[in-house]
Amino acid sequence: MSEPGVGPVENDTNKFLKGIAASGGVGIGQVVAIERFATEMCPKRILNPEEVVSEIGRFEAAVKSAAERLKSIKSTIGPDHPLADHAYLFETSILLLEDRMFFEGTKKAIESERQNAEWALSEVMHKIAAAFETTEDEYFRERARDIHFVGERVLRILMGVPSESKIHQLPPHSVLVAHDLSPADTAQIKSERVLGFAIDMGGRTSHTAIMARSMKLPAVTGLQNITRVAQSGDTIIIDGSTGVVILNPDPEMIYRYRERQDVYRKYHEAVMAYGRLPAVTRDGTRSVRISANIELLDEVEIALAHGSEGIGLFRTEYLFMGRNDLPTEEEQYEAYRQVLIRNAPNPVTIRTLDIGGDKLAASLKVSPEANPALGMRAIRLCLNHRDLFRTQLRAILRAAVLGNCQLLLPMISCLTEAQLAKTIIEEVKDDLRSEGIPFDERIKVGILVEVPSAVAIADLLAKEADFFSIGTNDLIQYALAIDRVNENVNYLYDTLHPAVLRLIRQTTSVCQATGVPIAMCGEMAGDPVSVPILLGLGINELSMNALSIPMVKKLIRSISLDECMELTRRAFEMHSAGEIRGYLSDWIKKRFPTDYFVDET
Amino acid sequence: MEPKADRFQKTLTVGNQLGIHARVATTVVQTMRNFASKVTVSKDGVEVDARSVLGLLLLAATPGSEIVVRAEGPDCRQAIEEIGRLITDEESQ
Repeated sequence: MSEPGVGPVENDTNKFLKGIAASGGVGIGQVVAIERFATEMCPKRILNPEEVVSEIGRFEAAVKSAAERLKSIKSTIGPDHPLADHAYLFETSILLLEDRMFFEGTKKAIESERQNAEWALSEVMHKIAAAFETTEDEYFRERARDIHFVGERVLRILMGVPSESKIHQLPPHSVLVAHDLSPADTAQIKSERVLGFAIDMGGRTSHTAIMARSMKLPAVTGLQNITRVAQSGDTIIIDGSTGVVILNPDPEMIYRYRERQDVYRKYHEAVMAYGRLPAVTRDGTRSVRISANIELLDEVEIALAHGSEGIGLFRTEYLFMGRNDLPTEEEQYEAYRQVLIRNAPNPVTIRTLDIGGDKLAASLKVSPEANPALGMRAIRLCLNHRDLFRTQLRAILRAAVLGNCQLLLPMISCLTEAQLAKTIIEEVKDDLRSEGIPFDERIKVGILVEVPSAVAIADLLAKEADFFSIGTNDLIQYALAIDRVNENVNYLYDTLHPAVLRLIRQTTSVCQATGVPIAMCGEMAGDPVSVPILLGLGINELSMNALSIPMVKKLIRSISLDECMELTRRAFEMHSAGEIRGYLSDWIKKRFPTDYFVDET
Repeated sequence: MEPKADRFQKTLTVGNQLGIHARVATTVVQTMRNFASKVTVSKDGVEVDARSVLGLLLLAATPGSEIVVRAEGPDCRQAIEEIGRLITDEESQ
């Protein structure tokens, strides 16, 4: 790439920096400088002999708390997270904390040198980093950064300096400028607020680069000193396709890069146009509601921009996570209210808390479980902690009068659970009624079909449910006995497994017989290869990642119901996931040669 | 039955695309926790504990490098076999 046309300019406008093109695309926004934590700042003092034991204790406690924090961040990275492939980095970091050289080395320095914990730790970090820096291979040299981040985390805890504060409170249109970002930092970024990254350190293989590509955000790395020249609030252009960064661009420069941004966006927008159209099959015989799965309030705008016709799955867990107490009724009411109002009159399906007790350990006393996926979580947790459940139900029922609200009960595995949950809902309604508080008397209560036993008793559950929603991610995991994040077995995970298709058919045929509406939320609903089959099986609402909506709408508008039926019939004659996927991939490639990227694996 | 602990060693060629990198080292350490033997890995005369991520990374074992795995203990053969599988397997990157 030649230089971008304008030489160095007077003053501070149009200041060019050249780094490494690490992740493509153009971002134009405001600098948010993530300050570097200087290990040199740490206090140094010689301990009195009687202080040594307690100082070692203080260090051990800090390491333990750092490990817990890393585990809790890791637990937020589910299989759908853009960084799911990198979740192992948290395991690596935890092992580094436990590593003899690091852990015992620091304790030894406290003991024999009588250094305070911060000092001892920073010395050990420097020694380890220095050892890495002598290696010739770039990859291994970069590992010095990993130990730095891990050590820094412990140092911050020792010194009472909060970590990650800015990462949690980013203004919209942020371009993160940092010396380097740790995997833990990157994992906590809400990508809809960030337009890109400009980083001093690293190359194309640095963690930030890899993660930016996973998040489809532009990034320029290897800028060396951008943290010295850029200040929070500066306007910045980053072009992750050429490695160019421009600080304080003048209007002409911004205009030029807006044009370039348009080129990158063009194809995307061509598809986006379909978002505004209804998802009606070409023959006009079937209309499908296409809605979005969301987790955060901010995602509502993204969903609407992509053409969602409601929220098919509002995950409420984020309200409960990353804090030591439980959210109040008012706090929850406010969140639900906003989502409902912004989507009215389209329906919003609020899923009640779907979380393992381990994630709420701070506020509930739930003992650790050997097998959390099969343990005290979701509806089970709610039925065991009635106050928690009632508070959430009150907030939902109250907010429901402001829009079109539905309740969705996760992880129902037997009829009793559904009945019990409904009884509690009625009790909460009685309370609200007697308190004279307005609420939605006729709120629809649905069952999330995600445990194979729920499919087996779908006919029984149909009597208790106003609607069903199939949650494919968990259903597949439980039905095929595969932990999707387990690298050893995840090759067996396939949404098109004949067993999965049969479980879906079993559920939809109950719905056809009973008239209970059926939706699907989960990744499969947004997978172009699966969509014709889902239509063929009679699913009339698909809820997905907002970004998939335009593509799925385009697909549905291009096919006929007969075609879906035929594909479904053929798929059910086949014997393996591979055979079905191959058949559907061939079909989609022939039918839409330029539109859909089909993953062959 | 021989009461004294068994010993075993083997020379291996690192086969992963990036060498013994962070993901492989993490898996090795986690796997070695299931074994009773003392296990070390050495390269160019530097010997490290197979249960230390730092140690393994500091070997900077790039693809194709020769390493020696030594184990001492009741399950030394299995431990070495397991390490061999993890670091020579092209797929497990």
